[in-house]
Amino acid sequence: MSKIEATELGGRRTTGKGDRHITSLATELLRIAGLAGLFAIALVVLRDDPFLLNILAYTCLFGGLATSWNIIGGFGGQFSLGHGVFFAAGAYTTANLYFHFGISPWLTLIPAVVVASAVALAVSWPTFRLKGPFFAIATLALNEVAFVLANYFDGLTGGPRGMMLPFRAGFENMVFTSKLPYAIIMIGFLLVTLVTAAIVLRSRLGYYLQAVRLDEDAARSVGIGVLRVKLMGMAVSAGLTGVGGSLFAMYIRYVDPPTLLSIQDVGVRFLLISLIGGVGTLYGPLAGALLIVPLEFQLRATLGSALPGGNLMVLGALLVIFALFMRKGLVGTVSDIWDRYGRRRDE
Amino acid sequence: MSDATALAAENLTKRFGGLTAVGGLNFSLRRGDLLSIIGPNGAGKTTLFNLLTGQHPPSDGRVIHEGRDISALAPEQRARLGLGRTFQISKTLTSMTALENVMIGAFLHRGKLAAAAEHAMHILDRVGLARRASVRAGTLTLSERRRLEIARALALDCSVLLLDEVMAGLNQREVDDVIGLVRQLHAEGLTVLVIEHNLKVVRAFENRVIVMDFGRMIADGTPDKVLSDPQVVEAYLGKKAE
Repeated sequence: MSKIEATELGGRRTTGKGDRHITSLATELLRIAGLAGLFAIALVVLRDDPFLLNILAYTCLFGGLATSWNIIGGFGGQFSLGHGVFFAAGAYTTANLYFHFGISPWLTLIPAVVVASAVALAVSWPTFRLKGPFFAIATLALNEVAFVLANYFDGLTGGPRGMMLPFRAGFENMVFTSKLPYAIIMIGFLLVTLVTAAIVLRSRLGYYLQAVRLDEDAARSVGIGVLRVKLMGMAVSAGLTGVGGSLFAMYIRYVDPPTLLSIQDVGVRFLLISLIGGVGTLYGPLAGALLIVPLEFQLRATLGSALPGGNLMVLGALLVIFALFMRKGLVGTVSDIWDRYGRRRDE
Repeated sequence: MSDATALAAENLTKRFGGLTAVGGLNFSLRRGDLLSIIGPNGAGKTTLFNLLTGQHPPSDGRVIHEGRDISALAPEQRARLGLGRTFQISKTLTSMTALENVMIGAFLHRGKLAAAAEHAMHILDRVGLARRASVRAGTLTLSERRRLEIARALALDCSVLLLDEVMAGLNQREVDDVIGLVRQLHAEGLTVLVIEHNLKVVRAFENRVIVMDFGRMIADGTPDKVLSDPQVVEAYLGKKAE
């Protein structure tokens, strides 16, 4: 090192504070609070329009689910296609406890988290030994196995006929006559997943997950237990996904295997939304949901009858476009542009 | 063991099928030592490095760290005990900033984000990268990335730093730069093991050198003594024409 550089560094030593260079959790929480404000305004504007409230509820639900998936799939780089299993685990837990024991769905959220996380840990323990595409394929298989099991164990799931959850309107039953409370619940779910994801991202676990994604050898060289970190990320991700499943079950009050475990409508959807929005970024999954979910409703309404499957064709084309030109998704692309301008300004 | 041995190899051996990559190697580093291990291509340097860091289990013999047999430990367990390392082909986390790369190491002993960031900043300062803290690692120059890897290892509060050909691919000025850094760290009391192909680099350190060839130790001593050893010259240049 040259002498000049050394003195220069010596001079900076007192000013070198690390946290100035990273976005703090407090900043992220403020941003999320800002989002909450925007959603509150949306609620006020849309309060008398059940059609749009329904779209808002679904957007937030799937935004929250994609945000949950992103914790292990994005931060940790483990492309799970099996999150439908944890979604279904949460949905069936709530459905059973409400249907058979009359327990308030609000209280069932806790066992839903526990069951979904436990299922996730049990199936991830062996599958995390697989890497990259092999892991993804194994989780895809898990989803299919769960589908068969759900059809078979009709005592727990109602089998192929499904379970119709009784309509008993009231706050304690999480059943409402208007769409507005559901929209509020789904916004709440989205905010909870965003806050959780922000806490994870701005913690040791988040950094470790990213290190594991970027380079497992490098991660191990700094003392990171790779399997342990993946399992922790998966448990958090699956627990939140389970809550999403519970809320979904109470929203449509009907659960059956095709609704909960269909690959294209559930398992792959979390991933697709995250990919389009920006995988591995905090707000990418939400951005993806804001684009995809309303678009899907619109497509189904306009194309659904005229051209069956037309909506899927549009979504597929969109995914291809993103894969070709915007590999980092909406948020990743924007932040790259931001970075480029930021650097130019610095120098 | 009560003496000041930081890292030692005892009869360390690695066989791949019929090939003995490292055969019965013995050496030890005391705390505060700077040891270079050199050898021509195929001498077994990288295999030795992998045995020390835990990438491969040894076929025979032991790796001792601070008096403890660590031969059976995985790389991450060795890192937790204080073995810091760099990679021959640099493995910085390119999409993260320099600071975050070092934080990944700092988190080992500091759970809180702010504490890890502060420690990482301090380390970046120490290796001369403080000004580059918020630059993505992927956009750093090669020599900066080498420094960054060293910083990441230092952030573990490591007791021994293992450097795997940190000079590879650097130009002369950059090599001098990194040599300066390694000497500075050594002067600050760190135990350093350098595995190096480049003889010039080893000469610059003026410390003890071990020369390997075909998995065995063929010379041990100061750079001047070792580099004039006919066996070493032969290993690098081939036999003298008669």
